[in-house]
Amino acid sequence: MTEVSVAGLSVLSRADWPEAGDNPVKGPPSLAGFVVSSFAPLAAEAAERCLKRAYGEAPAQPGRERRTAVLVVSKAGDTATERAVARAVDAGRSVQPLLFFQSVPNAVMGYVAKRWGLVGPVVCLSPAGDPEQEALATADLLLLDDAADDALIVLLELAAEDGAHDTATALLVGPDIANEVEA
Amino acid sequence: MTTAPALTKELLVQILAEYGEREANEIAERVDSLELAWLVHSLEERYGLKLDLDDVQLARMTTLDDALAILGKARRHIPRKPVVVTGLSVTTAFGRGLEALRQGLAAGQPAFGPVTRFEVGKRRVDRAATLPGDPNLIDEVTDAVTQAIGQAGLGPGTTARTPLLFARHADQAPPRLTLPEHHAQAPHTSGTQIAKQCGLRDAARTYTNACVAASSAIADAAALISAGREERVVVAAGYFVDADTYALFDAGRALATDGHLRSFSQDRKGLLLGDGLGAVVLESTESAAARGAAPITELLGWGRAGDAFHVCQPHPEGLGMAAAIEAALGRAELTPDGIGYINAHGTGTPLNDSAETAAIRRAFGEAARTVPVSSTKSLHGHALEASGVVELAVSVLALQEGTVPVNAGYLGPDPACRLNLVVDAPRRVAAQAVLSLNAAFGGANTALVLGAVAA
Repeated sequence: MTEVSVAGLSVLSRADWPEAGDNPVKGPPSLAGFVVSSFAPLAAEAAERCLKRAYGEAPAQPGRERRTAVLVVSKAGDTATERAVARAVDAGRSVQPLLFFQSVPNAVMGYVAKRWGLVGPVVCLSPAGDPEQEALATADLLLLDDAADDALIVLLELAAEDGAHDTATALLVGPDIANEVEA
Repeated sequence: MTTAPALTKELLVQILAEYGEREANEIAERVDSLELAWLVHSLEERYGLKLDLDDVQLARMTTLDDALAILGKARRHIPRKPVVVTGLSVTTAFGRGLEALRQGLAAGQPAFGPVTRFEVGKRRVDRAATLPGDPNLIDEVTDAVTQAIGQAGLGPGTTARTPLLFARHADQAPPRLTLPEHHAQAPHTSGTQIAKQCGLRDAARTYTNACVAASSAIADAAALISAGREERVVVAAGYFVDADTYALFDAGRALATDGHLRSFSQDRKGLLLGDGLGAVVLESTESAAARGAAPITELLGWGRAGDAFHVCQPHPEGLGMAAAIEAALGRAELTPDGIGYINAHGTGTPLNDSAETAAIRRAFGEAARTVPVSSTKSLHGHALEASGVVELAVSVLALQEGTVPVNAGYLGPDPACRLNLVVDAPRRVAAQAVLSLNAAFGGANTALVLGAVAA
């Protein structure tokens, strides 16, 4: 039975980083083309786990029929990439070219979206309040507005202090049909 | 006609409950002889719905899941409240205010010049479109929001009930603080600061999805208003050219090494950055009318879609952008012939402009041969997260002036960019509706349709 969120959406699957068996110190598996920061690998790993739990393996030839929105929700964003750029600029060094391609939070979702055929809106937010509630409210609005049929939400924060570890949660949410009937 | 043996009276009461208990019971009393076509017609008549169910869909309504899915989806076509813009403020390198932008567009001369705000001696390119000096972004956005609220005529009480949706590029100050301080100064804090200073209700979310951040916020604001969840929403966005972003774009070889942004042109070399910010007050037509506020433009349609193609390249066939355009036109209930001008994303990079051309041609068909197109990034530069609000202002001016701005820096046709480009000079076009397009890394695409209003 699917979980129903506060926003009235069905939570079809959910995944976290870290989960049992993960090494928070080592971090998520690296992702080709992304360097310096764990932001993109973290988002990709959480999304992959969540989508696999919902659908099994990624489709060999993803279609464009079902419009799955992609939401990346992070208060602070990719602080590691930002700090790497600032250090290079302040030192008068050239910035690594790869940092350009990962400098916005939506970039990594291009990888996830291609792999799984997610053709809905791509939205990235820095929420003032509870990230999950803001993400669910945004996904609910996209469904209400008929901009998407369902939504993949990736909530993540890099460690805010030395010794802490990164965290991520991914949720696949869809319309709560049962709740619509009872409404 | 298709009958529904599996749809019981009890089930129908359950389904129809969302349309109102009394009416549902009235309909359900006739269920024994009910034909589904009659049911659909009844729902459309009684509740102003546009269910648009064909015989195939009717035939599928024989199980609980099918009926719920079809009726649940149909519910989304409940007529929405029209959305208008009643306040607008914009700043670009042409200056502060809509009049400065109007003059800049009319002159048709790019605002690019040497970068003096920070050191660019080690960069491949040294040009951008910037305001003089090093102005404070949040102060300037706060001023823009205040002006837009003033133009809309919102009093303190109304303003205090109105939320802000803010879009911004990453601030380059926090990464130079300690890590905990960096996290404490997250992007959402500046949205909250602006909302507080302007007397707005809150800024629950700040959009960070790069070049579609402002246009996404505008679309979400429209969705909130049209669905009746908010009476009005203020959208603000800002980007000022900064050393970190300049270094990133330089490292990514995205900047035009010849110092010109030549959208859709042969021999285009890339983009140039530009200062940009703006604020828009959106509200329902009925709310604006109740206040006696004069609309500046009507937001007729909006669409958002993904490419599902690449981390940083657009789909070469423009599939996501075309889907966004089709969604926006569909919502506006316009055919491509109804669009009098397209303000394109047109970054001047080889990949973007050819993909965007493919998208326009895919969505517009034959009309792509005649609709005037230009990218005003060739004049004011690429304002990144603020692009959507700056280019909304450009689109409003096109409607108001009856003139569409030039696509500057054009050297000649590129076979991959066969569009009716506005080159050489602004062109007189009495458009009743215009389309503004934006795209971003990760395959994000947005389309906004703006309509003329009576003067």
